[in-house]
Amino acid sequence: VIFFAVMGLALAEIFAHVITRARAPEKAAWARAAAYVRARYEPGDAIVAAPSWADPLVREALGDVIDLAQAGRSDLAGFDRLWALSIRGRLPEGAPEREPDDDRLFDGVRVMRWDLGPSSVRYDFVDHVREAEVALGEGSGAAPCRWARAGARGGGLGAGAFWPEERFACGFGRGFLWVGETVTEDLDLKPRRCIHQQPEGSVPLRVTFRDVPSTQRLVLYAGLYYEDERSLERGPFTLRVRRDGVEVGRMEHRDGEGWKRLELAFPPSPSHARAASFTFETTSPAPDRRSVCWAATMRVAPREVGE
Amino acid sequence: MNRPGRHVGGWDHLVGFALAASYLGLLLATAPAIAMSRDESFYVVAAERMAPWFELLADSPERAIERSAVDRHFSFNHEHPSLAKSLFALSWLAQRRHDLFPEVSTAHRFPAMVLASLLLWLIYVFGARAFGRPAGAFAAVSFALLPRVFYQAHLNAFDLPITFMTTLVVYCYWRSLASRRWALLAGLAFGLALETKHNSWLLPPIFAIHFAWMAAAEVAHRRRGGAKRMSLFPYGLLSMGTLGPLLFVGLWPWLWYDTLPRLEEYANFHLHHVYYNMAYFGLNYFRPPFPVSFPFVMTLFTVPLTVLVLALLGLSQRLPAIAPGPLAARLFPRATEVADRYRTDVLMVGCLLAPIVVIAMPSTPIFGGTKHWMPAYPFLCLFAGLGYWKVVRWARELLRDKLPVARHSVRALTACILLTPSMLETVHSHPFGLSHYTYAAGFTPGAADYGMNRQFWGFTTGSLVPFLREHLPEGGTVWLCDTTPMAFDMLARDGLLPANIRPARAMHLADYVLVHHEHHFAEVDFQAWVAFHDVQPAYVLTHDGVPIITVYANPASRRVRR
Repeated sequence: VIFFAVMGLALAEIFAHVITRARAPEKAAWARAAAYVRARYEPGDAIVAAPSWADPLVREALGDVIDLAQAGRSDLAGFDRLWALSIRGRLPEGAPEREPDDDRLFDGVRVMRWDLGPSSVRYDFVDHVREAEVALGEGSGAAPCRWARAGARGGGLGAGAFWPEERFACGFGRGFLWVGETVTEDLDLKPRRCIHQQPEGSVPLRVTFRDVPSTQRLVLYAGLYYEDERSLERGPFTLRVRRDGVEVGRMEHRDGEGWKRLELAFPPSPSHARAASFTFETTSPAPDRRSVCWAATMRVAPREVGE
Repeated sequence: MNRPGRHVGGWDHLVGFALAASYLGLLLATAPAIAMSRDESFYVVAAERMAPWFELLADSPERAIERSAVDRHFSFNHEHPSLAKSLFALSWLAQRRHDLFPEVSTAHRFPAMVLASLLLWLIYVFGARAFGRPAGAFAAVSFALLPRVFYQAHLNAFDLPITFMTTLVVYCYWRSLASRRWALLAGLAFGLALETKHNSWLLPPIFAIHFAWMAAAEVAHRRRGGAKRMSLFPYGLLSMGTLGPLLFVGLWPWLWYDTLPRLEEYANFHLHHVYYNMAYFGLNYFRPPFPVSFPFVMTLFTVPLTVLVLALLGLSQRLPAIAPGPLAARLFPRATEVADRYRTDVLMVGCLLAPIVVIAMPSTPIFGGTKHWMPAYPFLCLFAGLGYWKVVRWARELLRDKLPVARHSVRALTACILLTPSMLETVHSHPFGLSHYTYAAGFTPGAADYGMNRQFWGFTTGSLVPFLREHLPEGGTVWLCDTTPMAFDMLARDGLLPANIRPARAMHLADYVLVHHEHHFAEVDFQAWVAFHDVQPAYVLTHDGVPIITVYANPASRRVRR
């Protein structure tokens, strides 16, 4: 029995090797699947890979229609439809637990589409960061930070989120104090498109958005760059949200909490019906390596999936 | 006194030589496809700094041994001993003078390739003595065809050299149990092993346990009225304890001055080694405690399963000889396998388990993948050879009178079937040796599903040479991610890449940005997206459909051919 088991194992290993090689989809298969998706792509669609390690292959084939908002999404609330290019029988993270609305196979690459329903997102703060007002401090002593072409910076292992070419710079000698759109690596090593807003200390760094449309909810995600959080040894940061100057919520974030979600509900009222200003303040008792990055959206009532 | 094991003669050494020569030829032929790895590039720098010292030693020995000369030529990379790097340096000097190899990198790598090849000879002879010629031959070939070993055997690094050295020390020590001449050789070999890499520190404890085990059995034998079968004086250990350190210090010029502080610095470097990142089942480990299962699972996932099962078969066959006498008698009352007086099985099991157990300790860094317990693999393969021989004997019993096949045909056919998985996987793994996983992991895509480490050292950049040549026809810059500038420079020195394709100073200024896919390098992917305002790679290098390197093109670059 052992003799046949050993010889059978060797033959099985040979057979499995040949099968595995043959089953790995060629780039041409990805391209055919991508062509099908591209022909049907609409604004508001999200495209994902399953398993997630195939993501570079999906972006190679379809990256021209995938923007930072898709690639660095916090959830699927901002999208009306979900496309998945899947291999090895995998389903994408966050996909509805039902049969896809479209399902095709292209030489080993499966294309699936789920219609999620209209997006609940009405305003994305990251989209509007350039229009925001940024200042360090409060009241008359606040020092404004200017939107500037400050020069791109960063790149490399341990460097954290890339400093975009254009950003709010908070003055000479405070190079680390900048506010702008970037993509950070969160505690789960996932990409998060967000507004970088590292606190200076106990003095708040404030980012204010004017004329934000009122909706029922504000959904806020915030976290730190992976290497700044993974050791679980540094102090917390606080991210306060003010509506028309009044604090309406705050997130206390401690190492280990990762890309943390906070949802603020705004009950219907006359004052909540009009556009408002929203201010996001970051503080930390020990701001070293508190590379806070956050993403927030104003949303209407939640839909069933993708929230 | 009887020597351990069976007789081995000139024909056996001819077989060993043939194995070594064939492997060396194979390594030389396949080396150009493997670009320099991170660590190799540091050893290139070290070797090329040491090389002038050897010229000075030849021209003016008294000046060469002066402290200023020693410090100048040996201070770089002094966290590792100098023997392997000295060989790399001498090989590079030979290349400079006689242009022996088609590539500079091959000149640097040649000495380690020779040692990797000699290891096959050694495994064959060791196996032939301990378990018989067929087992020895199978062990040597199965070792040569371990995908990760095949990759490492190409490199001007220390992992195959130390695997050769530790196996050599074990062999000499084993022979020293019956011969004082071999005790002397054990001491010399241990000195060379110490001078190669710190894995050698493990050997004395293994030997001490083995010797005590063997001595206890001998004492029990004598108490039962048996005749004296061996000396209980540990000549081999004594030789190792005296000659080893002498040779270690004598061959490493860095230790000729400030010997004790420098020894302390060397020991502390390795006893308190920094931790690097390593992905394992989807988690990125960067500090202790590390998973105890790591070396066991990685062995399961990277060694062809047939070889592992054969090793287990061989081990199980020898269990009665490994267990202490009374326990063996109780557990295996009808066993036909008996321990030899030198407790060879105990020694081999110790050498198989110790390197793996050390890495399994939660405080031991795991950044080196499987290479840090490669000294265990010759013994794994020796037991696999024993397992193979068991399968051959079963085959003969089954086929007796049924098929008109000769004895040798059964041996050869069985070996072919049992080694084909290894051969297929090794051939297919080249040049992605560190990315390749075997059957138990579901091969490379299965390992990606499990979230295992996909590579390290940035050597896969070599597989992008055709892409870079085609897309940067007028030269340009590349942001290298995990590849060191020295390793990249070697592609130009080898004539593989034009010299006008250079490393970029900054990511956003590069014509191309590379991202080597390892879990902790995910941030580099995201940095490139922001730097170029684009998430679409220009190219994704894959192995079995699994991304290995993603390449981004700078949309502002005028040199990139799209």
